Amino acid sequence: MSAPFEDIRALIYRASLTLDREDWIGFLALCAADFRYLITAYSPELRKRMIWFDHDLESLKALLDMVPQHLRRHGTLLRHVSVGMIEPAGSPDCYTVTSTFQCLHTELDGTTRLYAVGRYIDTVTMSDGRVLFLGRDTQLETRDLGIGSHVPL
Amino acid sequence: MASRTAAQWQQPPAVPDTHYVSGNVYSDPQIFAEERDKIFGRTWTIAAHESELPNPFDFRTYDYANTPLVIVRGGDGRVRTFINACSHRGAKLVNEPGGNAKTFTCFYHFWSYNSEGACVGIPKSEAYDQVGLDPSKCGLREVRTEVRLGLVFVNLDDAAPGLDSFLSGALDTFQSVMGTGELEVFHFQRSVIRANWKAWVETNMDAYHTIMHVVLRKTQVDSTRVITTYPGGHLSTDGVKASYTNYKGWGDRSQAMALPGSAPDDLRVGNLFPNSAILIRGTVMRIDVLSPISPHETAVESRGIGIKGDSDANRLTRIKHHNQYWGPFSRNWPEDAYAAEACEKTFSTGAAKYQIIAREENMRGQDDGMMRVFYAEWSRRMGRPAHNPLNR
Ligand code: FES
Ligand SMILES: [Fe+2]
Repeated sequence: MSAPFEDIRALIYRASLTLDREDWIGFLALCAADFRYLITAYSPELRKRMIWFDHDLESLKALLDMVPQHLRRHGTLLRHVSVGMIEPAGSPDCYTVTSTFQCLHTELDGTTRLYAVGRYIDTVTMSDGRVLFLGRDTQLETRDLGIGSHVPL
Repeated sequence: MASRTAAQWQQPPAVPDTHYVSGNVYSDPQIFAEERDKIFGRTWTIAAHESELPNPFDFRTYDYANTPLVIVRGGDGRVRTFINACSHRGAKLVNEPGGNAKTFTCFYHFWSYNSEGACVGIPKSEAYDQVGLDPSKCGLREVRTEVRLGLVFVNLDDAAPGLDSFLSGALDTFQSVMGTGELEVFHFQRSVIRANWKAWVETNMDAYHTIMHVVLRKTQVDSTRVITTYPGGHLSTDGVKASYTNYKGWGDRSQAMALPGSAPDDLRVGNLFPNSAILIRGTVMRIDVLSPISPHETAVESRGIGIKGDSDANRLTRIKHHNQYWGPFSRNWPEDAYAAEACEKTFSTGAAKYQIIAREENMRGQDDGMMRVFYAEWSRRMGRPAHNPLNR
């Protein structure tokens, strides 16, 4: 079977659109049961990679359920993604997808600022004819995120 | 109940002078310049954690209140700090945030310096013979450096009292947790927030604002907090416990993961005047250090600290514990940053005039006494009362 490139690209773009809309249920529906979401950044200060966000599907769901109760930056996020490479991963029907992204934050008054840039290293898998996320490692270039936010990038 | 007129809004709150603060302390450029001299130029501050410089010739750079520093572990194992400026024509010498180098060579004319700050190389130096420039007098400007409990403290003032006199025992309560085994920084975050530095300090001293954080509302009882004060404006708090399972999706922290001398459900905080806080949540530690950039901008450096030599699994668990409350993607730190920026929006324009720090609970519970202790020391060092710093 040839790699479902179009379906994989569509998955990455759909993920960004659902996250932009804060459609958490829609995003979780794109993830396999053993999904893991990481946000990492390399610290030149420590000369080590740091893990800033680490959730399996269950804890990600719990986190997203709590979002409305938290105080957080106002406004919206817009994720601009470019899918770069799609390569076979170790197991059959698994692919590693490397994309670059910019995440822009728009304040309530309409001002837009760059929030973060980085790469999504996604692992996707075929399940019942659908492509799903098995893992996302959001590798940040940006380390100064201002006031930050626990909403996933 | 009534709203207030413009004139009434200018009137100080009807509480003792020690119990409110003028908004001018956040916004006035002259006050900011004086703080740089009288506070940041003369107090000891945390510049790094020793674990960031484990080996000889390891270095870190740090811009402290707009003064660039380079912190180096020498070949002799001692940690020294220098102003990060070349003796020749002043260029910033070291640019990398961290690394390992036996010598620092300036990019500009290749003057070089060793890890003890001596100038060890001047290309084509014979042209200086005529004026008698002596390379032994061209070393870097050394900054006083002391290490306590793994914390690397520096002081820009050669005449300031020593570190122990400055601390007045404020670190003693952290002796077992920080002085038993080796600790290691696993998280380093430098975030520039659009707020005066004191607005962030207040987030670590305002015991009342826990009401703002859903994680704290759910996991902690504040009435048991006991505040201890030390000479010099330092503080520590103890007696608060956290019930982590009360927050959706979180589990308990096990005794096996507890830091030395800590219970897994402990919350303890130390505030070192003017700009540092040590926060311990049983299994993991955070250290905040503030570096003011302008009256309206502050670099917050937050470190996450665990046990050196942890198994991979334990390290991952500790990182998860850290990231629940702390870090840019946590559920507590961004809320504090939000609060600091929200106050900046009103004080920077003069729209807000005063803040009230008048809660009295016998230095327990949600007493505002920590902020009063801070502003008493601020007023003493500045020679200006925080309630009326411009004498108007
Ligand atoms: S300024 Fe550094 S060598 Fe000239
Ligand atoms: Fe807070």
